[in-house]
Amino acid sequence: MPDINALKLEAKRILREGIVDVVVGFKPGDSPLHPQPAFFRNEDEVEELIHNGLCKNNLANYLTRLPKQEKVGILVRGCENRSVNSLIVESQKERDDLYLIGIPCEGIIDWRRIVEQAGEHISMVEDNESEVTVHAPTGVNSYNRFDLLHESCQRCLHRNPVSADTLIGDPVANGSLELATQKVKNFESQDIEARYAFFQKEAERCIRCYACREACPSCYCTECFVDHNTPRWTESGATPAGMQGWHIVRAFHQSGRCTSCGACERACPMDIKMTYLTEKLNHDMREKYNFECGMDAETKPPFQTVTLDDKNRFFVGGGK
Amino acid sequence: MNLILPKIDLPDLLQSWRKKFTVFLPQKLERFSHFMPLDDANAEILEQPHNTRIPPKALFLPMTEALVKFTRFGTYDDAELEVSPRIVFGMRPCDAQAVQLLDTVFEQEQYTDPFWVKRQEKTIRIGLGCHVPCANGFCTTVGYGPFSKDGLDILLTDLGDSFLVEVLSESGKTLFENLHEASEELKNQAKEIQHKAHDAMPIAFETENLKEKIEQNFKSDYWDEVSRSCLGCGVCTFLCPTCFCFDIVDEVQRQERVRNWDSCMFRIYSLEASGHNPRPSRIERTRQRLSHKYAYWLDQIGLIGCTGCGRCVSYCPVGLDIRAMLRQAQSLPFEVSHAE
Repeated sequence: MPDINALKLEAKRILREGIVDVVVGFKPGDSPLHPQPAFFRNEDEVEELIHNGLCKNNLANYLTRLPKQEKVGILVRGCENRSVNSLIVESQKERDDLYLIGIPCEGIIDWRRIVEQAGEHISMVEDNESEVTVHAPTGVNSYNRFDLLHESCQRCLHRNPVSADTLIGDPVANGSLELATQKVKNFESQDIEARYAFFQKEAERCIRCYACREACPSCYCTECFVDHNTPRWTESGATPAGMQGWHIVRAFHQSGRCTSCGACERACPMDIKMTYLTEKLNHDMREKYNFECGMDAETKPPFQTVTLDDKNRFFVGGGK
Repeated sequence: MNLILPKIDLPDLLQSWRKKFTVFLPQKLERFSHFMPLDDANAEILEQPHNTRIPPKALFLPMTEALVKFTRFGTYDDAELEVSPRIVFGMRPCDAQAVQLLDTVFEQEQYTDPFWVKRQEKTIRIGLGCHVPCANGFCTTVGYGPFSKDGLDILLTDLGDSFLVEVLSESGKTLFENLHEASEELKNQAKEIQHKAHDAMPIAFETENLKEKIEQNFKSDYWDEVSRSCLGCGVCTFLCPTCFCFDIVDEVQRQERVRNWDSCMFRIYSLEASGHNPRPSRIERTRQRLSHKYAYWLDQIGLIGCTGCGRCVSYCPVGLDIRAMLRQAQSLPFEVSHAE
C-alpha cells in the first residue's frame, strides 16, 4: 500500500507550486467499502485524501470530464496510467497539462466479495499486503487478499505505472502473460455454441444503465451510438437483440483502446462479465500487432493509424 | 387475522399455489437474488436480510414492453396483455410501499395505464418484513419501516421456525386457509421482533424542512459539489423502486411501439429536438433526481418519493450516498415561509 503521508505531501506540493489546478484522488465514503473519487483544489482539502485497495474507479475517466484548460494532477495505478496515455494519444489531453503521481498497485478488492464473506455491516477494512482484515458485527476476520481481488486485477499484467512523473512506493512484481491470457484461451477453446450461450447469458442480464460506458475512460464520446436516434442505430429496449447489440459493439469500439482496468465490470450493477470480450481484443492486438494500449503516450492503436493515402479505395487519395 | 405458518410447510404451500398462480419469489441469479417464477423444483427460499438487486417494480413496469403493434400499411393494434394471476412472495416492505406510490402515477383519474392496472389487479403481494436491518437502507428515516404494511396483502414476520402471517386483505385470505391462528405468545414475539428491527434502523438524515431547503437552493453550488464525481449512469434510477420514467420508441423493424425504462441521469433524457438541453450537465440532472424525490413528490401527493431501500447507496459505481447528500442539504440556508 502506498504511504498515504507521502501521497498527501506530493499532492500538496504540486498544488502549492501551481504545477496543477486540481488533484484527482479518492476520499472516504460513508461506508469503508465505498471510497469516492474526489477533486482536491487546495492543500487543506488534500487532508481528506485516501488510497487503498477498495478505491475501485479508474480516475483517468475524469480527465475528459474536467474543464479542458485545467492542469490536472492525478493518482495513477498501472491501468490508470495507461488510460491516461491512451487519452493523450487520442488528443483528449496534453501531456504537459498533466502531473501523474504513480502508485504501484496490488490490485483492487471486489467489495462484493467482502459482503459475500462478511455481510453488509462492515465497520472497517484493513488492507495489508497479503491479507485483508474485515471488521463486522459478527467478528473480525482475515481473508487472503488475492482471493478478494477483482478478476481483472488477479490477471493484471502491468501493475506499475508506466510513465508517472513521480512514484510513491516501491515497484511491485508485474503479472505473468500466462495468467493474463488464461481466460481468453479458455474461452477460445470452447465451441461456438458454448461461447454464444455464455455471451447471451451475460449480455441478456443487462438493464442498459450504461454504467460500464460511463465508468470507462475510453468511452468519452459526446453521443454514444446507442443514444443516437435520428436514425436509431440499435434496438432501444432491454430485448435480446438490443442487449447483445450493446455489448458486442461496446466491446468492438475498444479494439486497441482497452487497458484491461476492469472498471466496466466493477461498475455493473448486474455483475455482468464483459472483460472476456475486451481481453480477447487485447490478446489479438498483442498477438497480431505487438501492441498494448497506453504503454506510452505516442504510439497509436493499430486501428487508428489511418492516413488519407491509405491503399484502400474508399479513402481520399486511396486506391493508388 | 394472524396465522402461523411453519417454515417446513412453505415449499409445499408455494407449490400448491402454482396450480392457480404464477408464483414469483426471490431466487439466486449469479451473485444476487432476483424475482423469478417458481418452477416445479422446490426453490431454495432465500433468507437473506436484504433486497433483490432489481426492485419488484419491474414486475409491474417491465424494462421493455410493446404498447402497440403496427404495420407498414398504416394500421395498428394495441398490444395484447395476457397476465395470469400472480403471487409475488417475499416483497420487502420498502418495495411494496414503492409500488403503492407508483399507483398514484399510473392510476390517476384522468390517466390510467391499462398495463399497470391489469398487472396490479392480477397480483397478490406477500411481504416479508426485515427482521435483520440492512446496512444501507433508511426506511424509518423517510417515514416507513421494516414492517410497514402498505401495499401488501400479507405480511410475514420471521419467527425462526415459522412465519407469523398477517392477513391484510380479502385476496390474501384465501391463500392461507388451513393455517392455525397464532397464539398470543407468538403474536407478542412477532411484535417484539418488529419493534426491535424498527429501533435498530438509525435515522440517516432529518427530513424536516428538507423540501424547502432543496427548493430554495436551486442555484446553490451544493449541486455542483454533490454531483462532481457522478458518472451519469442509470444505476441509481434503474435500481430505484420508485423511479418510473420511461421513453416511448418506435422499433420500426419489429413494427412495435415500445416503452423502455428511462433515466433522468441520462444526457438524452432531456435533450430537445432543437439540440437544446435544459439539463445540460450532471449538476442539473443530480438536482432533478434529488428534487423529484424529496420535493416534487411532496408537491404532488404529499409524500416523499423514496422508500429508503438503499439500492442507490449500495450500487453507485462511485460510492455516492444519497443519505450523505441529504445530510449536507440539511445544512443549506433557507427561510421559513409563512403561509397566509
